[in-house]
Amino acid sequence: MKRVHPLALIGGVIVAAFLLSAPMFLKSYGIYLLALWAVTTIAALGLNLTLGYAGQISLAQGAFVGLGAYTTALMTGAGVPYFVAFLASGVLTFAIGWCLGYPALRVQHHFLAFVTLAFSTLLFLLMRNEQWLTNGIYGINDIRRPTVFGISTNKNTEFYYFALSMLVAFAFIKWWMIRSPWGRAFIALRENPLRAASLGVNVRRYTLMAFAIGSAFAGFAGALYAPLVQFIEPNSFQLTYSLKLLLMVLVGGAGYFLGPFMGALIDLLLPEWLRFTQGYYLLIYSALVVTLMAFCPTGVLGIVERIREARISRAASAARAAQAPSATSSN
Amino acid sequence: MTTSTHFARKSALRRRLLGGMLLASLIGLPAMSASAQEIFIPNIVELSGAGAVSGTNWRDGIILAVEEINAKGGILGKKLNVPHLDTQSDASVARAQVQKVMDDKPYVILGPVFSGSVLVTMALAQQNEIPEFVGGEASAITQRGNKFVFRTAFGQQFSMPKIANYIRDGLKAQTVAVLWVNNDFGKGGRDNFVKEMASRNIKVVADISTESGQVDFAADVVKLKAANADAVFVYTNEEESARFLKEARKQSLKGSLIGETTLLSQKVIELAGDAANGVKGHVGLTSDAPIPALNAFGEKFKKRFNYANDHNGIKGYIAVYAIKHATEKLGKFDSKALADAMHGLTITPEQEPGILMNSTWDANGDIDRASFLGEVVGGKQKVVEVLPKLGK
Repeated sequence: MKRVHPLALIGGVIVAAFLLSAPMFLKSYGIYLLALWAVTTIAALGLNLTLGYAGQISLAQGAFVGLGAYTTALMTGAGVPYFVAFLASGVLTFAIGWCLGYPALRVQHHFLAFVTLAFSTLLFLLMRNEQWLTNGIYGINDIRRPTVFGISTNKNTEFYYFALSMLVAFAFIKWWMIRSPWGRAFIALRENPLRAASLGVNVRRYTLMAFAIGSAFAGFAGALYAPLVQFIEPNSFQLTYSLKLLLMVLVGGAGYFLGPFMGALIDLLLPEWLRFTQGYYLLIYSALVVTLMAFCPTGVLGIVERIREARISRAASAARAAQAPSATSSN
Repeated sequence: MTTSTHFARKSALRRRLLGGMLLASLIGLPAMSASAQEIFIPNIVELSGAGAVSGTNWRDGIILAVEEINAKGGILGKKLNVPHLDTQSDASVARAQVQKVMDDKPYVILGPVFSGSVLVTMALAQQNEIPEFVGGEASAITQRGNKFVFRTAFGQQFSMPKIANYIRDGLKAQTVAVLWVNNDFGKGGRDNFVKEMASRNIKVVADISTESGQVDFAADVVKLKAANADAVFVYTNEEESARFLKEARKQSLKGSLIGETTLLSQKVIELAGDAANGVKGHVGLTSDAPIPALNAFGEKFKKRFNYANDHNGIKGYIAVYAIKHATEKLGKFDSKALADAMHGLTITPEQEPGILMNSTWDANGDIDRASFLGEVVGGKQKVVEVLPKLGK
């Protein structure tokens, strides 16, 4: 097993301590924002699996979040217990994600992006036009928050801990998955599908699986999003939201385990922090993202990786240089 | 362990601790609350995205009122601190922004203008017992028993009967076509309009849904021509209204073009140019009304911001003056008492010149005041009739 670097361990402990103690020193809005980060990160984790590990581009992740949110809102509104609705959201998005994977067997890259974009638009139109079911453009209001182990999550602090524990659970599932033979098969699929097939990887099954699991993560995130915001409407799950999730994965670093965590943090917090610039905040935010993507297309974690590799390379060069005179003198 | 390694690790630890503190400060975000000598009234509004035109007008109306009030010493000796927070025309962002300002104990909240954003934020305002003065016009806003939400414009349930009466009595139309934008504003208006038409036995011969941000209206105009209605009711946002009018004129669409406030607004007239001439309809608020206070407001607004206001500018302006009057009447800053005082309150321009028109808020937070029938003539909005308050 790969040894964890002590600094990474210390960093992890500090982040965990911060996340656990955040409600003690943050006001209600800060807690709400962190809960939103946890929920959004779950959706981004799913997209990172589909895109970053399996190499299948999807512009429908936001629509899947919407599907999960609507499923939960409608079911809990009809009196179904929250956790049944939560599971149903995941199962439904898994099944539909599996179906969406079929086009990926025939088309790749930007063609696949267009297929998923069309699917995203289709879901938006269903949410908006089927008023008998979804309440159409008016959306669904007053979505109840669940009671977890007898604790009501009506207050932001309780909901934040619930969302955080869900994030930990989904992060563990993904961590386990990418270290399992499935994860290796996904990476093989991304790197070279032909070679993967020649090594016995069932390309068809793993492509479908990448879409289905990624979509299910989005569905579960949607099941958390609905009670967090307590209001959902079709516009919230339009293409813009899918692009935002894609941006989070890319900015954080596609294919890096911690990429979605970092990407969601940047996407949610940076515009908020820049609000002091008033009318310029979105302009500055966009400029920063464009600069990052132009100079480091592998995202923030790509920069860290680059620094790490440079350091290893320098250390190796230094070691070679140190060995060279002794080798010469031994001759 | 060597000394250099030890220092490197300590320095890395320090960096991480600093990083953690930075993260905490990032999430904590700068506080916006007012000092003891200021009163905190945040404005949460659409300053980017689809609602930017309406939101900017609303914001500038507020800025004008706040500058005037602060120049005269504020309210009860306290200056107004009104930060403007962008919702990006997104309901979930609007909710997050209201959540943010709640941490700083606002006296009142101003905005949003988009009805969907109002519906999601007003529940939070109610939980915190903070009054919210909104620009939204969807009927649902004041039908949920929320005692903390107050309109600054007619709800669609009040404006649509007025336009329906005009179509029946003024135009004597037998058939009507309706073209609406498929968002919460447009759908709400369309639903109310169709209901009012049915109750007056006027046949809706075409019911056309359009998209927010739609650019090409050629196909919609072709459908309207085929429907051949006596009147066409257009209920879309500003930019879309202007694009539609241009296309309607291009294809020589027959039948009266009728709107409700937006279609006759200054922004639409500017964007549509000559194509706006001949448009008729009901106008909730306009600086061109035969009311000197409204005309003076229009001039002040143009001088201050270098563009002509629309109804949203007036809405923002009167919201601040309504708060001023009700607070001074109360003699204290008490959010809950302000909400109670607003129900059933009538403010006249004699009592508070900034209110511009005699206005009454009912038990649901709906506003009642005079309104206008107008027409666009020679690139200008012309008021042809003043409709009295419904309560008269």
